[in-house]
Amino acid sequence: MIGFIILFTFIALIIVAFAALVQKKLEDSIILFMGIGLGSVILFFTFNAPDVALTEAVIGSGVSTFIFLTALKHLRSEQ
Amino acid sequence: MNLKRKLALSDISGFALASVLVLTIFNVILQNSLLTQNSAGNALLALSSHEGVANAVTTVVVYFRGFDTLGEIAVLFIASLGIGLILENPHAKQGKKEESNFMLKTAAKLLFPIILLFGIYIMVYGHLSPGGGFQGGVIIASGVLLLLISSNNFHMPHKLIAILETFAGISYVFIGLIGLLLLDTFLGNFLPHDISQMGMLFSGGIIPIIYIIVGIKVGSEMSFIVQNLLQRGEHD
Repeated sequence: MIGFIILFTFIALIIVAFAALVQKKLEDSIILFMGIGLGSVILFFTFNAPDVALTEAVIGSGVSTFIFLTALKHLRSEQ
Repeated sequence: MNLKRKLALSDISGFALASVLVLTIFNVILQNSLLTQNSAGNALLALSSHEGVANAVTTVVVYFRGFDTLGEIAVLFIASLGIGLILENPHAKQGKKEESNFMLKTAAKLLFPIILLFGIYIMVYGHLSPGGGFQGGVIIASGVLLLLISSNNFHMPHKLIAILETFAGISYVFIGLIGLLLLDTFLGNFLPHDISQMGMLFSGGIIPIIYIIVGIKVGSEMSFIVQNLLQRGEHD
């Protein structure tokens, strides 16, 4: 069962990563990048690393998304 | 435009990185049974119960590698200092922002106390359950971010944050020096840490105290970074 979850998450992660690469809009890429963070949270948790999973959830999909979006907004307003 | 060429380059490097990642991950899956048998951390994990702390990762981060944690905090401090120097805008125009929408305002009012409480819980229970100072601090900073984007007239109390951060940084070093005086090791565990008390809230000697200090420092620094980034994004 755990192995099935891990394998499914891996495949979903690869698909989401590919989708994030080929998006036309940068906003969509950033949101999909957040999805990669969420998938790795599941992976870290199934690999018995809840501390790393918590860090990834907070920093990887929370704060870094905010920083990317702020940087994008700032770039838009400069152009 | 130049951006398109850069994007194509990042596509190629992204594919290369992704393939390396996939190969590594399959390697990990195939060798998973081997990894659990002879990993280097097992000795440290076995030692961790001597300090009377239920969460072995906290023992490693705060006690066995406490000096490294001090360095990490210094790195975060320097990062926030750099962001403050580059991005801080003292002539920011006040009161010309758009009003944020009603749902965001109500949700922020409702969610901010819960996020704050959750962050403090993660911080205080760092020696018992997963999480700790870093995670709790960043959760509190994300609550501050919610307040900053929802409310027009919310200003960070800079004085209070400066006092909190200075207090946290000084007391980390101070506790380490007391350990050096009493036990001849920097960050020595000089408070009582019985194994029989393991799993209680008041256990583990100085380890939970240091993690709370780390949480205060990380929370104030991350809120400062978030506020600087937002102000720069809005007023320039």
